[in-house]
Amino acid sequence: MNDFSELENQLRKLRPAQPSSDLTAKIERALGEPETSTATAGVLSSERRFHFDWLSIGLGLAAASALILFALLRLQAPSPKTPSVASTSPAPVISRDQLIPAGLTQVVYHTRDEGVHFPTNSEEPVRRVRSHTRETLQWRNPKTGASLKITYPKEQVSLLPVSGQ
Amino acid sequence: MQNVATDENWKTCFSQLAPGLVLFARQWTRSAADAEDVVQEAFVKFWRRNHDVTNRGLLYATVRSVALDLIRRDSRRARREATALSDVDPTVQPAFDTEDDSQRALVAALELLPAEQREVLTLKIWNELTFAEIASALEISQNTAASRYRYALAALKKNLPIT
Repeated sequence: MNDFSELENQLRKLRPAQPSSDLTAKIERALGEPETSTATAGVLSSERRFHFDWLSIGLGLAAASALILFALLRLQAPSPKTPSVASTSPAPVISRDQLIPAGLTQVVYHTRDEGVHFPTNSEEPVRRVRSHTRETLQWRNPKTGASLKITYPKEQVSLLPVSGQ
Repeated sequence: MQNVATDENWKTCFSQLAPGLVLFARQWTRSAADAEDVVQEAFVKFWRRNHDVTNRGLLYATVRSVALDLIRRDSRRARREATALSDVDPTVQPAFDTEDDSQRALVAALELLPAEQREVLTLKIWNELTFAEIASALEISQNTAASRYRYALAALKKNLPIT
């Protein structure tokens, strides 16, 4: 560190520019106002505590819905043509009721710590953690072995309380 | 909540911290006015919640959080954030009152530092935070804070024409 002592002294001699004289007055006014109206110079709005990527969620849900409809139509529609080869047993008729939930898989593939934030109605700071998950739901027909699987992305924002000290 | 505006303590605290706070905030803003808005918002939040002003790590973390929230809010500022967090950033300019050519050269060399080194240097030199407080403010380890500080000094020494 001794190699840098002279440089550190030079740096300390640099004086940061003084803030404008009305900054203290603006803070005084802001502190005097109700907490709900402490926006500063119209620059800062309330925090976005929960932000979801609605486009991704919407596309995911739309894709999942289309997949369900497609699967149900295929399962419920009669076969367009009879098998050309004689079957020893009648073709099973599968109804929606025969599909039972078989599993749920959640894979968290990305988690980001977005730092300390101050929710408007909270006295304490919280840590905002955003996680991206891929969830897979599965149904299975125990009689026929037919299965249905739906995968969709999910984004979750968690606010975790942190100690002030 | 009590009317904290009647408490004169905040003025004493703020007058001592303001230049360093604004300098710290300027790393994420192009203008001094934006930096002052960030500091105002952060300090008001901090003071309203009756946090201990000696907890400087949390105060500077609040400034950083407000600054990042600010530049996330519109796309133009978001693009600026992306460059502010990169290693080579021509937009972030520490604001100093320089007196001679050697100080101007020093400021020019500061502007060449990677953002992550410059913020540690700003907190250490002009805000006099300990490495523990810097680690708390930036959410990094103390060792990382100390390393970045040394790298910053080494880079400055290398870039300065006369040291």
